[in-house]
Amino acid sequence: MTPQTGRSAGPGVPRGDLPHRAGATGWFDTRHRHLGDWAFVVNRLSGLGLVAYLYLHLVILSQLARGPEAWGGFLAIATSPPVLLFDVLLLAGLLAHAFNGIRVTLLGLGLVASRQKALWVALMGMAVLIALAGASRILGVTS
Amino acid sequence: MSAGVTAKRGQVAREPDAATRGARARGDVGWGWAAQAATGAVVLVLVAVHMVAQHFILPEGLRDYAQVEAWLRQPIVAAVETVFLASVTAHALLGVRAVLLDLGPSPRVERALTAGLGVIGVATVLYGLWLTAVVTGLA
Repeated sequence: MTPQTGRSAGPGVPRGDLPHRAGATGWFDTRHRHLGDWAFVVNRLSGLGLVAYLYLHLVILSQLARGPEAWGGFLAIATSPPVLLFDVLLLAGLLAHAFNGIRVTLLGLGLVASRQKALWVALMGMAVLIALAGASRILGVTS
Repeated sequence: MSAGVTAKRGQVAREPDAATRGARARGDVGWGWAAQAATGAVVLVLVAVHMVAQHFILPEGLRDYAQVEAWLRQPIVAAVETVFLASVTAHALLGVRAVLLDLGPSPRVERALTAGLGVIGVATVLYGLWLTAVVTGLA
């Protein structure tokens, strides 16, 4: 069976009937919405955010080519409270995307046929725990 | 798939036209899915390595310029960082491609998108290699 990125409505049912099949605007069509559809939207939005961050990150790294002073200037900004708060949001988005990606891949390969909701809860629980630990370190609550 | 689609649950029926719409619009996820899963698996491991090596083990959370230089001069570090950049770039651009294909472009537009994103990906990795060469004094 061909892996599918979204929730299949079953054999013979046109995938155009699924909420997210109607282009990107379908992501926000909350009719007939199930857990798997929410997970799909979260993965798409967090993924797009991470793509934007990847290129922002690569542009910022160009400060390295301008020498130690330019890089030192960036480090001062990077350790300021607003940026650290952004880092916490970034880590949460990364973890949500990563753990949801594990779920999507397992389902797509047909490795998890049942207990899908339990899998989602377990993976998101792990993501939340790591995010909390990371947030506490980033914000300096623990050393 | 039959040509005529019956409207269900009040939704407007949409006519899938295989001749004028791209693979994704016909319900075919294709090679992109497999490539996304494979690069995702590599990124999952290397992003964890990246977070620990670049941020977690450092008291300040970031390296100063001299530390970055010394770090990247280790061949194994430069190699892993390059593989990480290549896999994360491929994963990111495959994701952008998947989003754009969901909009149902024609096969011609779909091919142009794939080629254009490929060029952006190659340019991104070359930029990373150039930056590494500058910082380590090779360029």
